[in-house]
Amino acid sequence: MNVPTEHLLALASILFALGVAGFLVRRNVIIVLASVELMLNAANLCFLAGSRAWAAEGAAGGHPIQGPVFALFVILVAAAEAAIGLALIIAIYRLKRTTALDATRDLEG
Amino acid sequence: MAELLFYLLSLGAIGFGIGVIRTHMPLYSVLSLLGTFFCLAGIYLLAGFPFLAATQLLVYAGAIMVLFLFVIMLLNLGDRDELNRQTGVALSGPRLAAAGICAGLLGLAGLIAAGWGGKVTPTEAVAAGGVDRLNDIAEVLFGRYMLPFEAASLLLLATMVGVMSLAKRQRGEETEAGDTGWPWHKGVEQ
Repeated sequence: MNVPTEHLLALASILFALGVAGFLVRRNVIIVLASVELMLNAANLCFLAGSRAWAAEGAAGGHPIQGPVFALFVILVAAAEAAIGLALIIAIYRLKRTTALDATRDLEG
Repeated sequence: MAELLFYLLSLGAIGFGIGVIRTHMPLYSVLSLLGTFFCLAGIYLLAGFPFLAATQLLVYAGAIMVLFLFVIMLLNLGDRDELNRQTGVALSGPRLAAAGICAGLLGLAGLIAAGWGGKVTPTEAVAAGGVDRLNDIAEVLFGRYMLPFEAASLLLLATMVGVMSLAKRQRGEETEAGDTGWPWHKGVEQ
């Protein structure tokens, strides 16, 4: 695949922008969580693009393996976040019978 | 050929990404997210990360998506009238912020793609068998990043405990008669 690293980064920033838009605009908690996953994937793509550029460069003393390792950590954090977030959604649903974010305003000052 | 495939997969990822935030049904949103994950896994594979592609499919498209779909099915978030109300877009403040941030990021993407796109990085220059060979990953993960790895295991343990305590019905929590809090138990005697 002969593609500039910049194109991978551009794809990552587009996906991140979509994630930010969904996170800020949507009111359904599940869609908000899906947007967060989208943003985490964009971050992963950045890690891998950097790692690939580093590996192709063949920089002396470089550690291109760090990119995939950090991507693994990001996947792990995403899994933990999804589990906790969905448990929270279930707890909110039991209390409020809805998954709309603006239904949970009990702590509003 | 691989380049064409990359750009097709990129278009697919962006299209599915738009699907994630545009649809009115949480189920379709999550299925679009699944499409994005598949496209990204293909891109990882093309870029020389076969192990990460496999992990993406196993953990993201497998485990996390199952979790999402499980919750959607569990809460029975089907096609109901209230969903149209609750999935609508929020007030203008967050919308404006989102528009601003997205415009900035998309402009950044355009600058990146147009301005610096001169040097092509061929994947063939990457080490044979991909960048993420398992030997290397294991060496780094259990050597240099031993402490973060252990912290990650602690994080997973904390997640597990947290989810259990969240999902458990608290003592004295108010319930309607015969309602156990789960949709399929509605009306069943406790």
